[in-house]
Order: sequence, then structure tokens, then C-alpha cells
Amino acid sequence: MIEPLLERARRRADGGADALWRQVERTSVAFEWGRLKAAGVAEEAGVNVRVRHRGRVGVAGTTAVDGSTDDVLARALASAELGESVDLAFPGPAPLPALASYFDRAANASLDDLIGIGRSLLERLEREGCRVNVTIERETAETRVANSAGAAGAYRSTAIGISAELWRIAGDDVLAIGDAVEGADLPGDDAVSALVGSVNARFEHALRVVAPPQGALPVIFTPLGLSALMLPITQALSGKAVLQGISPLAARIGEQVFDTRFSLTDDALRAGRAASRPVDDECVPSRTTCLVERGVVRRFVYDLETAARAGTQSTGHGQRTIFGKPVPGYTNIVIGDGGREKGEGGDELGGGLLRDVKDGLVVDELIGVGQGNVIGGAFSHPVALAYRVERGAISGRVKDAAVAGNAYHLWKRVGGYGTDARWAGARYTPSVLLDGVSVARR
Amino acid sequence: MIDRLTAALGRSRADYTEIRVERTWSTAVTFRGRRLESATASEDQGGFVRALSAGGGWGIASFTSLDRLEAMVARAVELSRAVRVTPPIRLADVAPHQADAILDLDGDVRGIPIAEKKRLLEAYNGELLAVSDRVVDTVATYRDEVSEYWYVNSDGTALHELRPEVTLSGTAVARRDGTIEKGLESIGLRRGWSSVQDKAAGFRQAAERAVQLLDAPMVTGGAYPVILDPELAGVFIHEAFGHLSEADFVYENPQAREMMTLGRRFGKPALNVGDNGAAPGLRGTLPFDDEGTPTQDTPLIRAGILVGRLHSRETAATMGERATGNARAISFRHPPIVRMTNTYIANGQGSFDDLIRDVKVGVYACGAFGGQTLLENFSFTAAYGRMIRDGHLAELVKDVVLAGNLFQTLDRIDHIAGDFRWNQMGGGCGKGGQAPLPVTEGAPHVRIEEALVGGDVPAGSA
Repeated sequence: MIEPLLERARRRADGGADALWRQVERTSVAFEWGRLKAAGVAEEAGVNVRVRHRGRVGVAGTTAVDGSTDDVLARALASAELGESVDLAFPGPAPLPALASYFDRAANASLDDLIGIGRSLLERLEREGCRVNVTIERETAETRVANSAGAAGAYRSTAIGISAELWRIAGDDVLAIGDAVEGADLPGDDAVSALVGSVNARFEHALRVVAPPQGALPVIFTPLGLSALMLPITQALSGKAVLQGISPLAARIGEQVFDTRFSLTDDALRAGRAASRPVDDECVPSRTTCLVERGVVRRFVYDLETAARAGTQSTGHGQRTIFGKPVPGYTNIVIGDGGREKGEGGDELGGGLLRDVKDGLVVDELIGVGQGNVIGGAFSHPVALAYRVERGAISGRVKDAAVAGNAYHLWKRVGGYGTDARWAGARYTPSVLLDGVSVARR
Repeated sequence: MIDRLTAALGRSRADYTEIRVERTWSTAVTFRGRRLESATASEDQGGFVRALSAGGGWGIASFTSLDRLEAMVARAVELSRAVRVTPPIRLADVAPHQADAILDLDGDVRGIPIAEKKRLLEAYNGELLAVSDRVVDTVATYRDEVSEYWYVNSDGTALHELRPEVTLSGTAVARRDGTIEKGLESIGLRRGWSSVQDKAAGFRQAAERAVQLLDAPMVTGGAYPVILDPELAGVFIHEAFGHLSEADFVYENPQAREMMTLGRRFGKPALNVGDNGAAPGLRGTLPFDDEGTPTQDTPLIRAGILVGRLHSRETAATMGERATGNARAISFRHPPIVRMTNTYIANGQGSFDDLIRDVKVGVYACGAFGGQTLLENFSFTAAYGRMIRDGHLAELVKDVVLAGNLFQTLDRIDHIAGDFRWNQMGGGCGKGGQAPLPVTEGAPHVRIEEALVGGDVPAGSA
């Protein structure tokens, strides 16, 4: 349906137009407190259109796509009347990279298959005095993007998410340990077993509660616990933050800002990942973008508009929903040691880094990540799930402790990477040992 | 529409079926610095069906194409039958209601040209920028919507509502050398165009605060008597206690049920807490929840003792209690789950001065940049703070982060003033992937006899 819409837009907007149409079908199964509780389907379709008229850009979206699309076009043009002028050029046709984004096994999995995965997870996680929540979600989507300059892209995609949470409440001590497997294809038995292994290992270590240490200490951040250290960096590498003058990394392209062992890549073409796509939501072909290479800042991410404002090219990071305008966003973030990824399969919590720690912490989850002035790099968070390390081994779970530091300082010296690299959401990372993290008791 | 939905309901072969249809017109305008970032108008429509068959689980279907209504009712029934649940799901009785409720649109936003909305926001954004050269960046947003809402269920309830909402927010970013500070103004109302006029003063104050914070020292971390202003006290009670009182957390978890046994002492006798979805004129207020249950004022803590909790029809039936009208969904894309509405700490006695009079060294924590509760721990970032010295307000301090154990902290609330107010803020509550849900919080000034204040974080730059 976007071709006729673009055709009409071309006649009414002198600077061209682009549009995204997306149709999604989602199937979900929920086990609540150990019981299968609900199954659901969701069907959604919508269109987002952007026009450039008299140098000004306007955007509109609708899910009311049953009838005419005149209304959404009229709203986009009205939006453009108010807009500031942007020198935004819609990209011309370009070949798209080959990418498998649609997996039959995921698309064809029946409701019973999904329920079966949930039951098997439940059986393997249930234990005395605990309750388990499991949700399984499968999505199939069809995306079409096109613009008036002749560029177009269309792809089908699948995504599966399986998450499990083990809860134990003993008196006023509440313990919840969760993990998830996400990907474009149906996960194999090994991935489901790894999920069970991960939850169980962390649960076993959590049963004993010990006093937290105190001071500037070595802290191992697990792949799940790394968010507070990553969020400032990814925010600062967004071209939007650079344009707004709030990025501490602005004007530092080519500089050695971090440890030579710190590299960061955004990989839109990573096989088997739900965020991978052959083309971004603005018709720009996808690619792998090196953001930080051995500690040197290489590149910021841009969509068409922020690129136009910054006088540069889009890096293929345009993301748009049915409503609102496109924004620059990441796909799959890969944190690596100068590009050499460590082997997977390190099952041990901390990925083999424990032995280097005399007295410190393993941080698996923090409270309040994302609050406050994130991009500045300073963080201070109570721990939600953390373990004390004494003489190279985990001695138990710590409660009532908080960690603080500055992400930009801490990444200047990486103490080591674990051998447990894995996906945590859309981020691929091993455990990381950072020294001099401030740990406080409460 | 109601006739069409009732007809579709009639063809359902499930024991219980409900259908919701929503059509939402919204506009959003954003300024970033002096630049208009976007001004868009959107239309969103869709439906939601939930079915329950004997011995079955919930079958759920949502859709954007209304042509699919009948097919999706059949699909929901089929899904319910495919999910076997023992013991069966039961729903608490709620008398059927038929209502046509047009809330006060207070100047229907659909009749106002988007250019006018842009002009209004541009003026407020201008207030932020005009305060000082130190204000280097702003984000100002205006958002409105009118949602037409239809709901029917097989118990005979049929509702039609027109629900307005309007939110305004402004963030001023002040900078001097490497120091960056923020000031925030946020207004959220279940009203219309008339209610967002004459709001310039709040925007100006937010920018002034950001500039003042540039000179403010970081609070010295440690344990202090802490006085929460009504805004932060409201956020605190919502986050640190409200979520625990949502019955879906406890109803099928024996250990959680034990932790939240009615009659348990949660605070000193001065503490009274409740949730009132029927309070007139607030953002969390609606006549019915998304299961067709009338909203009400539900006491949760009375004189320090746990006396109630928030229910859906399912959690109420399981626990042998009454539905409280707290089953809410953010849109047709989601099932109703147990949520808060307008959550409050009830008024106490005395004035703010009475709270600080005998405090030698303490912290007055004001406003909220954010808050999160995880399990029994919470962390809140106040917008700013003032030290209290010898019973008087003293210097402005920044980076006031409150963290602690919620059971201990609730129990340490030792004084509640008599200056209650509702905080009509924007934003909203998030739970189970559903955010932002419009809610309101209210409280007077509240004193915690001792709480841990963090903040002493090593400064640094890239």
C-alpha cells in the first residue's frame, strides 16, 4: 500500500516523501506463578509517512489503514507546514546486503510447541518454596520502506523471546532471578538449557547472604549487569546527542578515549538476531559500524535527519515506529576486545574472572539504571543482585550495597574480559572486570 | 458500535468474553532548544478480545483492523480452549453497568489547529531559554489525545466513553564548563486545551532551578532525617509501597501472600495510604476500569496497618475479596492487569515547619527525576534538595539519591504534615511492558526519621 501513498505524496510534496509500512503478528504464552495462564495473538498494521515540502519536513502515522490514506498524507503535510527547514535528501536506489531475517522454524512453531518449551522450562526451574514465571513470545513481521527517489526495501522477519523468572520470598527477603533467550530463530535445546543453567547457577550462589565489602574495589559486571556502564557510552555515541551539544564524546573522533581493549561495534547484519535487518527504516542499506576501535572513538550513529543537520551521511541507523518521526537507534551492540571475541560457553558466573579478585563484587543487576544525568557518565545505584567475591570465589549474595563510579573513567582501564560472552538483549558482551569501583554499604 | 460489539459477543462460545475498541486522535509537539523537532498528528485504532472457557485459560486477541473483529473473537475463544488451567480461573462478581460517559473535554483538543499547539509550546519553551545564557538546551513537549472507548462483556456491561488527556513537559539543561544540571516541569491532566494555558511560571522555575544547581554542592552521602516534599512523597508511596499492594503480585504466591498479610504493621499510626480511582478531576481517574468495574477509593494502610489491596476480578476471586476497579490496560494492544490509579498518603497534621523544627542536620528532598523499586529495595533521584540545619532550610544541594529497604523506610515515617496536594504530573507508570499508564500521586510533606542519601559520586568527564 505504500506505493500508491508515495505516488500521491510525490504529487503534493515538492521535496519528495518516504514511508514505512509494517505488519506484525505476535503469539504469546504466559505461565504465571508456575501455571499456564494465557495465550494471545496480536495483529497490527500501520503506516508512517514523511514528506518534504518547501524545504520543511513533516511526519504522520496511522493504524487506521483499512480505508483511504488521504488523511495520513494530509496530516503529514500539515506537520510539514510547521516544520523547520531541513536539507534532507532521500537516498536513491542501492543494493541491499543479503540477510536471513525470516526463519520458518520460528514462523511455523505452533501454539503447542511454544507451550511445550514453557512447560519444559518450568519443570527444570521449579523448586521447593519458589515460584516461576515464564513468557514466550513469537513475532512475524513484514516491513516495507520506500521513498520518492526510487529506493525501496522489503523483508520479512521473525523473532522469538523466551524469558523466565525464579522467585523466592522468605520473610521480607525477596529474591528474583531471571534471564531470557532472544533471537530470530527458534532456540535449540542448548540455548534453553543455558537459560536454565544461568538461572540455577545464580540462584545457588544467592542462597547465602553475606556482608558487602566497602571501598574502591575490583568489580565484575556480568553481561546482564553491564547496563549502567554501557548506557552513557551509547547515548554519547548517538549523533543526536552530538548535535545537541550534550555528548562528552563530541569532537573526539580519532582520539584514544578508552582502554585499547575496549571496542564497540553496531552490527545490523548479525545472523540470527531479531534486531538485524537488510535495510533501515529510511531505505539506507544496513551495515556493520565500528563505533570504538581499540579505545579510539571512530563514529557516531545517524539517521537521515540528524546526518543532514550534522552535514554527514546516515549510518543506516534510522528507526521509526508507526507514530512519530524516525530517530537514530542501535541494532546489535557488540562489545569486544579489539575485535577478538572470546569463546562462548564459560558457564561459571563471572566468566573465569573471579580468580583475579581478592575482595570485590560480581554485579548482575542494579536498581535505577537510566535515572538522572546518564550521559555525564557518573552513576550510583543500589544493587538488586550482586555477589561478594573473596579470595577468588563467590562467598554469597550481598544486599544493602551500592556501587558508584564514572563510566568514562572506568572504561579507561579494563581489568579483563570473561570467557562468557553472550547476548543480553541486543548487546553481545562477556563479563568485564573493572577496578576502582566505589562500593558502599547501607 | 456497541450494537456491533454486542452482536460479536453473542457469537462467542466462551463462558466469558469481553471486547474493547478504542479510537485515539493525538497530537505531539516537541521543541529541542530553539528548534521545533516535530509536530505530528496521529490516529490509532484497534480492538481487544479476551475470552475464558470452562477449564481454559485466558484467550487474548488484539488487532488494528476492525474488519477482523468477528474472526478475532473466534480466535480468542479457540486460544482459551487450547490452554488448560487447573484449578479453573474464576472472576469476582461485578454488577453489570451500562454507561455513556463523556468526560469533561475542557476545550476539545481536536478542534485546535496544530499550529496553535506549537505556538503555546514555543512560548513555554521560550520561558525556559530566557532564564539565563547558561541554559544551553531544552526539551519541551506537548501531547494531547482524545480516546473514544467502547467496552462490552458477556455479563451485560456496555460502556462508551470519551477520554481526554493532555500533558506538557519542559526540561532545561544548564551548563557551565563540564557541569551539566537539569530542571524539570511536568503537567499531566485528564482534561483539554483550556487547562494548559497560563503555565509559564512553572517552566520558568524549572530553568531557574537548573541554573541554581550549577553552583550547588553535591549532597554529602550518609544517613539523615529526610523530609520528602509532596511530589517526591507521592512518587515514593507509588513505587515503594503501591506496587506491592497490587494483588497479582501475591494472589498465587503463598510466600508473597504471607509477606502482605492483611493486619501486618507497615508503619507508625500516623500513616494512612490509599488508592482512589474515583477522585474527581485527576489523571488516574476514570468511571470504570478496563473490566467494567466501577472505580473506588480503596484504603491500603490505615493507622500503619495493612488493610487492603488492589484487585482485578481474577485476583479478587482467588483471594476471596472484592474487585476494586484496578484492572487497567494502556491500550487495546494489552490485557488489563492490576494497576494503581491515584495513589496517596493521606493528610496528617501540622505544617512543614513542624517537620523540620527539631532537625539538627537533615535533607529536604524535592521533586523526582525518577524512581525504581526492585523487590524490597528502592532508589529515587530527587530533582534537588535543601539541607536542613538547626531547624531551618539551608543551602541548595544536588545529586540527592535516596535508596533503601522499603519495609524499614515505611516504618521510619514518623511525621506527616497537613498540607496534602495531588501532583498532576505527566509521564506515567510502567509494569509488564505497559507504559506509560496515566496515574496521579498525592501526599503532604512527610518526614523519614532516618534514610540513606547517596550522591557522593566521583566527578569525571570523558
